[in-house]
Amino acid sequence: MTTIVVLVILAALVLWGINVYNRIITLENRYQNAWSQIDVQLKRRTDLVPNLVETVKGYAAHEKEVFDNVGKARAAMTAAKSVDESAEAANMMTAALGRLFAISEAYPDLKANQNFMMLQEELAGIENKIAYARQFYNDAVLQFNTVITTIPGNFFAGPMGKTKHVYLEVPEADKELPQVSFGATPA
Amino acid sequence: MTTAPADRPRIPDAITDPLSGRRISLLDWQAANRRASWLLAGFMVLLLGGIGYLVALAFDPGAAWTFIVIAAVMAIGQSLAAYWFSDKLALAVSGARPANKDEHRYLVNVTEAVAIGAGVPMPKIYVIDNPAPNAFATGRDPRHGAIAVTTGLMSILDRQELEGVVAHEMAHVKNYDIRFASMLAATVGAIVLLRDVILRGLRFGGRSRRSSSSGGGRGQAIAMVLLIVLLILAPILATLVRLAVSRRREYLADATGAYITRNPDGLASALAKLRDYRGTPMQVSEGVQHMYFTNPVAKLNALSWLATHPPIDDRISRLRRM
Repeated sequence: MTTIVVLVILAALVLWGINVYNRIITLENRYQNAWSQIDVQLKRRTDLVPNLVETVKGYAAHEKEVFDNVGKARAAMTAAKSVDESAEAANMMTAALGRLFAISEAYPDLKANQNFMMLQEELAGIENKIAYARQFYNDAVLQFNTVITTIPGNFFAGPMGKTKHVYLEVPEADKELPQVSFGATPA
Repeated sequence: MTTAPADRPRIPDAITDPLSGRRISLLDWQAANRRASWLLAGFMVLLLGGIGYLVALAFDPGAAWTFIVIAAVMAIGQSLAAYWFSDKLALAVSGARPANKDEHRYLVNVTEAVAIGAGVPMPKIYVIDNPAPNAFATGRDPRHGAIAVTTGLMSILDRQELEGVVAHEMAHVKNYDIRFASMLAATVGAIVLLRDVILRGLRFGGRSRRSSSSGGGRGQAIAMVLLIVLLILAPILATLVRLAVSRRREYLADATGAYITRNPDGLASALAKLRDYRGTPMQVSEGVQHMYFTNPVAKLNALSWLATHPPIDDRISRLRRM
């Protein structure tokens, strides 16, 4: 009789442990997956940049510094290996593109260019998707961190080698410049 | 841009329950809503079963189960049809056409972004050529989600407002509101159908041979009276319940939409623009009015038992308070 009780309790404990373990792994996968969402958008943005630069150069070739910054950001983007490097390069790119769109305000012909308008909307869209993907990522990280720092997850986190993950922060300058330069013209 | 975790107080993850006036978390409210939904569905089935039973008592007590089964089959049949076909039907009736990436780049981009934020698969996007601003969602689960917006909506809303509306519609899909509403509507339809069949039977068949000849006359007469009362009241009651659910879920979708976009003000100002629209109203048949972002018939956004949507001003002030 007692052996049966002991066995039942043991089985329940094991099932419970499996459950907690799986929960931690699921949440970890979720935020890693959320990062790949951001990555896809960053790659698409990087791919559009040469086209944009060519178009703008046709009207404002002398704004060399702006093009240089975009070029540097693009190089950093392609060279980035880790999440942190990508995030940093992405912020550089956002700032550089912000400048580029800001100067384009001074060129009415450029602003009326079909290709430019298309690229502007496309990049504004991507910028937006990055913001949403980052929000989803931070939500996922928050869930993961909560589980591994509260009972019972914290008993498992150590042996599993899981530690708190960091949020993706938005640089201060970025917050002050909400999509103003990216015109929200309906297509 | 986005909100870093430090800004969290701004996130409306707790909202005021319209019934009790208490602050409760969005997730709790979603769960409560889901429970209420199933209770309601159970109630509808019992109602239909009860009608079937009374029909049997009034006409032919020996065949009680036959009638109950017929009533249940009708309800289940209608619900299944709604489950599979309501989305195709809704899109066809509204005259929506699939959006294309070149023509509606803006809309496609906005929807993709919101879907990423909501963590749901990208829904299909449709456009309705109509100057009146409105939108609706359909689809039995997030994997079959579809969102339709009018050309009028795209032309008067800015990006943040459009995001709010799209997020509200996505919330309906994510909260399984569409599935529930269409199945509930189907059950109400089944009750109405049953009523018509029985009332016609009463008129033509008169009292059945059995009731006039056999002795159980008194019990049968009571059953008959109950049946007629129930047949008249049931569709009305069922409709009132359906409308109450519809209104409640609009609040929930607003709150979920605000949570997805982290921007209650975008949704609120979109609602204000729809309220102030003075152009040609959209002609929408009664059966699908409840699906829209705001009811195309302005007076059906009201604090009334017959309204499908709560008053727009009330929705706005709830969002502004988040």
